[in-house]
Amino acid sequence: MKIKYAIILVLIVIVVGAGIGLKMFFKPHADVNMLDAEFKLEATKLLDEFQKEENTATAKYSEKVLEINGKLVAKNKLPNGTNLLILEDEMAGISCQLDSSWSAANTSVILALETGNPITVKGVCKGYLMEIKVSPAIVVTK
Amino acid sequence: MLIVFVASFSAFSQGKFIDKNAFTSFYSSTPMEDILGESNEVLTILDSSNGEIVFQALMTTFHFKRALMEEHFNENYMESTKFPKAKFKGTIEGFKKEMLTAPVANIKITGVLNVHGVDKTITVPGTIGTDGGKLVATSKFKVTPEDYGIVIPSLVRDKVGKEMEITVKATYLPYGQ
Repeated sequence: MKIKYAIILVLIVIVVGAGIGLKMFFKPHADVNMLDAEFKLEATKLLDEFQKEENTATAKYSEKVLEINGKLVAKNKLPNGTNLLILEDEMAGISCQLDSSWSAANTSVILALETGNPITVKGVCKGYLMEIKVSPAIVVTK
Repeated sequence: MLIVFVASFSAFSQGKFIDKNAFTSFYSSTPMEDILGESNEVLTILDSSNGEIVFQALMTTFHFKRALMEEHFNENYMESTKFPKAKFKGTIEGFKKEMLTAPVANIKITGVLNVHGVDKTITVPGTIGTDGGKLVATSKFKVTPEDYGIVIPSLVRDKVGKEMEITVKATYLPYGQ
């Protein structure tokens, strides 16, 4: 009897372990639409922080979800179809790559965006390379 | 007339060219599953006065099919918090300005690649030239993670390919003086 219980117990452990392992292996990417922004700030303030102290700003914001208010200066499409929005300055501003599934579901929102207008984006900050890179990102509509 | 022509030509040939969204991927084939990381956010600047070419990438912008791969890549292998950027600075061998306006041709680039905080001089094959009115450059080469002090645990060492294949594609635009 004891052996039977032991075998059942071992089997349960194996099944649960395999389940956890598979779940971890197939864990989906975080959906930025569902995540809460850890920082809400103005684009100009974020740029200022990165331009003054890149290392400090990278440590503070890298891999964090930010909600950024700024002026849209460019709306482009990359060769692979990704929508790219640039805030404040085309060369040294904030470059936001829109999430592909969000983009597919919100084509009218993207189409309605006009350069020169204020915009709010939410996305994961990746750091600074002449401009601040944010990806994936979504447009926050109010 | 001639002066205008010469002036505009020299402005073109002496300028710098930039791509803020160059494509870079690295690929490793494994028995279980192919590992492919891609970034569209690599910054590259080409100086047409001397053929110097610079690339910079933020490690966290590499995107993988599985969230777990991305996590392992950043946390275990690249240590992206400690070494957020990879950099390459090199020169096109036998550089001539005409290479930029000619049709795409093969080149060799020698320079220093810095990954994971380790510098290594490499010579890699590539292409450069004008295609469809645009200045384009590509490169494909292999690196060994161990050369850059990246430790892959022995348990998974034979599952991850010995070498990683790096592919780079850039489309340059003129960049203000």
